[in-house]
Amino acid sequence: MSQEAYIKPAHAVLWQSHPPGHDVISTKTLGFWLYLLSDSMIVSSLFASYLVLNHRVNAAAGPTAGMVVHPVVAFFETVLLFSGILAYGFAMVGLKRGDKKAVLSGLASAIILAVGFLVIEGVDFAGLAGHGMVPERSGFLSAFYALVLYHGAHLVFAILWTLVMIVQVAREGFTENVVYRLLNLKLFWFFRKRFNNYTLPLIP
Amino acid sequence: MPLHKGRHLRPLWLAAVAFLTGCAQKGYWLAHPKGAIARTEWHTTILDVAVMGSVVLVAGGLVAAFLWRYRVGGKSRSYDPTFTASLVIEVLVWGVPLMIVGYLSYFSVKSVFATNPYNPLAVRRAVAREARMNGAFTRRADPAGVNAIDPAAHPMRPLRVDVVTTDWQWVFIYPKQGIATVDELVVPVRVPVKFDLTSTTVVNDFFIPQLVGEIDIMPGMRTKQGMIASRTGSYHGYSDDFSGGGFSWMGFATRVTRPAHFKDWVRRVQSAKDHLTDTRFTRVAQPTINLAQKIRHFSHVQKGLFDHIIEQVMEGRVYRTPLAMTESMTKPMKVRLIK
Amino acid sequence: MLVHYPGPWSPLLGRLALKEIPYQNPILVWTFVLVSCAALAIFAAITYHRAWGYLWREWLTSVDHKKIGVMYCLVGLVMFFRGFIDGVMMRTQQVMAVGPQSPGYLGALHGYLPPYHFGQIYSAHGTIMILFAITPILIGIMNIVVPLQVGARDMAYPYLNAVSFWLTASATALVMISLFVGDFSHAGWVGLSPLTELAYSPGVGVDYWIWAVQIGSVGTTLASINIIMTIIKLRAPGMTWTRMPIFCWTALSTSVVGLSSFPVFTAAVALLSLDRYAGTHFFTPGLGGNLMLYTDLFWIWGHPEVYYVILPAFGIISEIVPTFSEKPLFGYMTMAAASIAIGGVSWSVWLHHFFTMGAGPGVNSFFSIASMLVGIPTGVKVFNWAFTLYRGRIRFDLPMLWALGALVLLLTGGLSGMMLAMPAINYTVHNSVFVVAHFHNMLNVVGFAAIGGINFWFPKVFGFKLDERIGKRAFWFFSAGTVVLFGSMYALGFMGMPRRIDYIPFVSWRPLLMSEEAGIFLFLIAAYYMIKQMYVSIRDRAQHRVTGPDPWRTARSLEWLTHCPVPFYNFALLPHINSRDEWAWRRQNGLVNLRPDHYEDIHLPNNTFVPMLLGALAFGLGFGMVWRMYWLAGLSLLGIVVAVIARSFEPDSGHTIPGVRIREIEETLPEELDGMEPVADVAGGVVAFQARTAPRAPAQEP
Ligand code: HEA
Ligand code: HEA
Ligand code: CUA
Ligand SMILES: [Cu+2]
Repeated sequence: MSQEAYIKPAHAVLWQSHPPGHDVISTKTLGFWLYLLSDSMIVSSLFASYLVLNHRVNAAAGPTAGMVVHPVVAFFETVLLFSGILAYGFAMVGLKRGDKKAVLSGLASAIILAVGFLVIEGVDFAGLAGHGMVPERSGFLSAFYALVLYHGAHLVFAILWTLVMIVQVAREGFTENVVYRLLNLKLFWFFRKRFNNYTLPLIP
Repeated sequence: MPLHKGRHLRPLWLAAVAFLTGCAQKGYWLAHPKGAIARTEWHTTILDVAVMGSVVLVAGGLVAAFLWRYRVGGKSRSYDPTFTASLVIEVLVWGVPLMIVGYLSYFSVKSVFATNPYNPLAVRRAVAREARMNGAFTRRADPAGVNAIDPAAHPMRPLRVDVVTTDWQWVFIYPKQGIATVDELVVPVRVPVKFDLTSTTVVNDFFIPQLVGEIDIMPGMRTKQGMIASRTGSYHGYSDDFSGGGFSWMGFATRVTRPAHFKDWVRRVQSAKDHLTDTRFTRVAQPTINLAQKIRHFSHVQKGLFDHIIEQVMEGRVYRTPLAMTESMTKPMKVRLIK
Repeated sequence: MLVHYPGPWSPLLGRLALKEIPYQNPILVWTFVLVSCAALAIFAAITYHRAWGYLWREWLTSVDHKKIGVMYCLVGLVMFFRGFIDGVMMRTQQVMAVGPQSPGYLGALHGYLPPYHFGQIYSAHGTIMILFAITPILIGIMNIVVPLQVGARDMAYPYLNAVSFWLTASATALVMISLFVGDFSHAGWVGLSPLTELAYSPGVGVDYWIWAVQIGSVGTTLASINIIMTIIKLRAPGMTWTRMPIFCWTALSTSVVGLSSFPVFTAAVALLSLDRYAGTHFFTPGLGGNLMLYTDLFWIWGHPEVYYVILPAFGIISEIVPTFSEKPLFGYMTMAAASIAIGGVSWSVWLHHFFTMGAGPGVNSFFSIASMLVGIPTGVKVFNWAFTLYRGRIRFDLPMLWALGALVLLLTGGLSGMMLAMPAINYTVHNSVFVVAHFHNMLNVVGFAAIGGINFWFPKVFGFKLDERIGKRAFWFFSAGTVVLFGSMYALGFMGMPRRIDYIPFVSWRPLLMSEEAGIFLFLIAAYYMIKQMYVSIRDRAQHRVTGPDPWRTARSLEWLTHCPVPFYNFALLPHINSRDEWAWRRQNGLVNLRPDHYEDIHLPNNTFVPMLLGALAFGLGFGMVWRMYWLAGLSLLGIVVAVIARSFEPDSGHTIPGVRIREIEETLPEELDGMEPVADVAGGVVAFQARTAPRAPAQEP
């Protein structure tokens, strides 16, 4: 055992007293990061499905990509979403300063902007459905809706979580638990942006 | 046969042939190929088994020898717990397998092209050889002339057969001849056959072990296969991909005949009373288990029926499987059975 | 909802009705009677011994990684047994149903199982064996061993660990209940597309499959995150990457594979459920669906999944072989590298599962070569194990036997795998029982290693060994069964016999089918001895009790440094790592039987019943969706959300065990490793080894 000859048994340290306490926050955020990795695998799968099904045959003589995406609507949606994320960013700046009010108002405006996004999307989809462009119409539409609705579902989840965080920040202030959750939520919001970046340019 | 070129390995694979054919009694279909493609596939098998088998034997032998020699209570006195790394050994155990994989990859790629369903080299080679020898080879191997080909007809244009699987039968359409059969495939010997395949419901797999390897059959899609049979006779074909309750009964009789007999057969089927139109087809395609592989013949097949079937499936025609065929654990098999 | 399916529906019960309970089928009725009797007996025994409180406090609400690991293994073993019974039923059907003349019983045309029932059995068998037997057993072993090997008190997220377990448990419950309420899928463990579509599988079978694998794979993904984080974050001081026990390397590699591949499966199955519930057209043959998309997505997960199970098995073998050869593992660095390589390449071979789908020769060539490349790192493993044996002192204890059996099986399974990886060969044996023989060969490698691992680490967790004599009988019968059954199956593969057939059209296949049945009898004897081994060992545990931390006397890695059974806090003081095989190093240098000179407070998380509640709610969600009782599914989902939010408001303070209490516990624990005295001349015993606060720079590696 060549590599072990370097430590003299007589002087070896056998036990570690007072181990450096494991850093709770970084453990939690790194783990959450791994979760996001797995989530992005789901996104990639949905995205790959969309690419596969975005063909003329898969439209089954129904609407194609050009007919379901309105560039203007998509533009406003993107603006809303990005400003929501920006608002969350402001909340994080507030967190750095330990400013409870700034955090709370940042979170609240993020929620409002995200709700705005969802409303526009809902109206948009209602319009599409009115023209018979429902997921059951064709493989292409199925994939289109799956992709955007998965995005929407994340947003709903983010809103719910942000609401919970507003209550927790208000009640508990910046305890360790609250802070790591805020940081994870930040990752979650920023992940929305990545998702959007993925999808937007590829939906013609 | 592309694999014969591996001269330096000849003794190795000859030994393997001896071993494998030794146990290849009746029933080992893969060991008794009767077509150019099946033969290439079997030779690839032998080569792979020979190469990998020897590596595996070496590895296994090494383990066995060490176990015996260094067991507690054994003779060896050379216990040495410091022997834990060796550059030479590491290079060998990474390097040698790498070389072997390289060698096998070469043959793998070669045989992929030889047996490629869409355009198999093996068939082209077999046809070319036939043309070159003009039957001489065959006459020597087969004095009675059972497998002789019609020299006037060679090189023949390939025979086209469209294959449609339903739940759970086979429909073979001969578009040129305007005939179709259920559960019976008849082809002339030493004539290349081109198959187009599709399914009305779920995925199946076309396989005639002694003649040609597998190819998937998918609804709304078209796959292709090429084949050439070198011996007359009866062979078994069946589906090799699970497709629901009647799957086990999804076989078809395959007959390879002399070209003259084939012509007779075609004429006989052309006089069948049953005609195959699209409406007739939708009835044939209802979920049915053909228990005894009862053969049916159709004449006057509607032109373009095969393409029409694919289009219909793409437009959403489904042949639903009845609940009784899938759910009822107590009263199963309440579907159309052909006894 | 949006889709049309046959049969009635009511708001309260959904599709569920009395006729869905197959009370006319004698096989299922008797199974039900047996299972209920067993459940009642267990229930009565617990009540009689007044063990409910104990069970609740010590197990059901526990977040201790060892207990969760044990529960994982228990679930896995029970499901292993269930899968085995499925195997017996399939083999018996096939040997009975040969030729058109074979009689039929119980309403079957041939044999005793109608086709649909046979289809359910192999689908349940494959799903169970891979996802609910082998995977939980391996996760259980990783759960127990990884924190101990890296010198941690628990997993990185103990609470999440419990959640993973209870999700797996509820998925398992869903599979089991499908036996008695409704049906299971008949579309194989792979969920053959488009057979899984509503038009071709109109019952609830596929829905059961969907929800079981969906819930289970969420659990497995979370478990992967936990294991990765434990290895990254919680290694004891001094444990550099190159000092990490080899099993941790395989656990890390496998978890990375799991974390990145299971989500793809989740997505594929989710899209399939949209097809079945919302009438979309992802994988339908018509209206723009693409069934090959499912096949791709499935195997992008499915292939990494089989390496997900083989990698920990390799890790177990790599721990057992050095222990019983009394030598360090040969070529540690390349072994670690090979584990990573296998995990990495596993991503680029998925298409070899459908070479016959008619992709061009270029594509098939690429995937053929990629598949064969996996053979290289695998071969490295085999040869390195061989050279670990070289110049060793080899003992044939029970774990060693299982490990060696696994090694031999790996060689034959690798041979057939290399055959399948050549498209020209694959065209003739794809979907035949040759493939079935290949993967049972390989999966039995995993089975052998898992059983070996259980035997190996059992005394560590419970403080007594499993009976060696009976265990060896189980081993020999299991091996004989494997050779006889799967050997015949290889031969049948060359006869062209397709897999998944319930009626055998050709009588020429009968002799080999009978020999397979003989294999089943050997397996039955093996199962008898396995259960007997467990029973006898527990009954006579006093005789099987081990003393000291290392019952094998030649073990090597860190987990053998603490007591058998491991106390709930694992290590009284966290060890400082000086060497790759820390325990072997300490043993060889006489640094055993030493106690630290002081103890410190230990902080541990509290028990919680929330994970179990989440499991129950996930079951409700699955069951509700299967039967389309939307109110039940909705309420369960709501319950999950509320429970998660509520729990986040509860400050997770944990509890602290004072150092004096630890000292009390430690002093009651036997410490002697007989025949081994602390070496006095190493600077005077205990005092010299008292804990030092200043961590020292780790020694350089050569
Ligand atoms: C890990 C996976 C795994 C394992 C271990 C096994 C083990 C076995 N399998 Fe299976 N099998 C699959 C995974 C597995 N299988 C898969 C994925 C399929 C494909 C499904 C599909 O087509 O979709 C399949 C298909 C399959 C078929 C398919 C037939 C067909 O398609 O035509 C058959 C038929 O014989 C079969 C048989 C067996 C047998 C006899 C065993 C035996 O080796 C089992 C031996 C087990 C024991 C002897 C149990 C011992 C007892 C205990 C564990 C109890 C101990 C309890 C305590 C100690 C508390 N299996
Ligand atoms: C634990 C599980 C496990 C493992 C480890 C493997 C390992 C391998 N498998 Fe297997 N496989 C399965 C489980 C597994 N498989 C399952 C479950 C299925 C079917 C699922 C289904 O359809 O239901 C399957 C199916 C399957 C197929 C598709 C068959 C078909 O459906 O047509 C193929 C094709 O390439 C394949 C190939 C391989 C290869 C090349 C390896 C390699 O990793 C093997 C490597 C090992 C060695 C090569 C031996 C040791 C090495 C040496 C002694 C050194 C010398 C080596 C060389 C020179 C190369 N497997
Ligand atoms: Cu594969 Cu069409
Ligand atoms: Cu694979």
